[in-house]
Amino acid sequence: MQAESDSDLIARAREEPEAFGLLYERYVDKIYNYIYYRTGNHHDAEDLTARTFYRALNHISRYVDRGAPFSAWLYRIAHNLVANWHRDRCRRQIIPLEDLIVGRLKREEPASLAEEKEEQDLLLQTVRRLPPERQQLIVLKFVEQMSNAEIGKVMGRTEGAIKSLYHRTLVALRKELVK
Amino acid sequence: MKKERMAEALAFHAEGLIGQRDDAEAVTLADDEHTRLAPLFELAGRLKQSMQPVKPSATFVRTLGEELVERARRRIALTKRVRRGLLISAAALGSVLSVASVVGAIALVITRNRARAQARAMHASTG
Repeated sequence: MQAESDSDLIARAREEPEAFGLLYERYVDKIYNYIYYRTGNHHDAEDLTARTFYRALNHISRYVDRGAPFSAWLYRIAHNLVANWHRDRCRRQIIPLEDLIVGRLKREEPASLAEEKEEQDLLLQTVRRLPPERQQLIVLKFVEQMSNAEIGKVMGRTEGAIKSLYHRTLVALRKELVK
Repeated sequence: MKKERMAEALAFHAEGLIGQRDDAEAVTLADDEHTRLAPLFELAGRLKQSMQPVKPSATFVRTLGEELVERARRRIALTKRVRRGLLISAAALGSVLSVASVVGAIALVITRNRARAQARAMHASTG
């Protein structure tokens, strides 16, 4: 049996609550992943994922299909919420408890494993210092494993523009890492 | 090496990393071009390795799903109540207007008849 299309579920969601539940199940992992890699911790990822879907629910009756996939609309909501989160975080300088605990655990691990994780953490932290749209591209490419055409639809750009952005992003990221 | 060519080569490499390579878009690089792009290829590989999908906790997913469906249920019920209320109000207003127009029409007929009767009486008394 073929899964119901997003358009059909969106139309049903205006009258049937379970239809929104199905949309949620379809995209919660993707949105969570996106937010996790933009924020770096599970606590904020859960909070912002919840806010994304509550906001989507509040506005679903006004959603208009303009040719972009429904996921693009969800990613846009998530992207804006993460941008606000970053702005608020800069003001408050909060260190997630996870970072403190992980930092402590690392000191108890074998040296090689700890070094590998440290490099990985440094890479991910550096990604999170990139401009928001470059972070978005990296996450959609390597976590969601989207093609350039799919990323283009989510970000509202042509495939060529995405390739160009990807090139510039790698160059900028490398520059940050070798500083 | 032109930027467009570099972008194409990097894009093709990335598509390969995520299993979406289209060989029709392959870019054949000269040795010096490959050497120049090697650090970026290596960086892309590290990104792929470091950014594995994570799973949200099952409890979180289930709880949030239940809350959202419940919220959706309340919103839809509220919208239906508001719609029903508006329909009833519109129907009531329609009824009132209908009755008012019938009463108005009757009043008009009565008034006209009276006016005609008075005119005839006056005409009879003067004629």
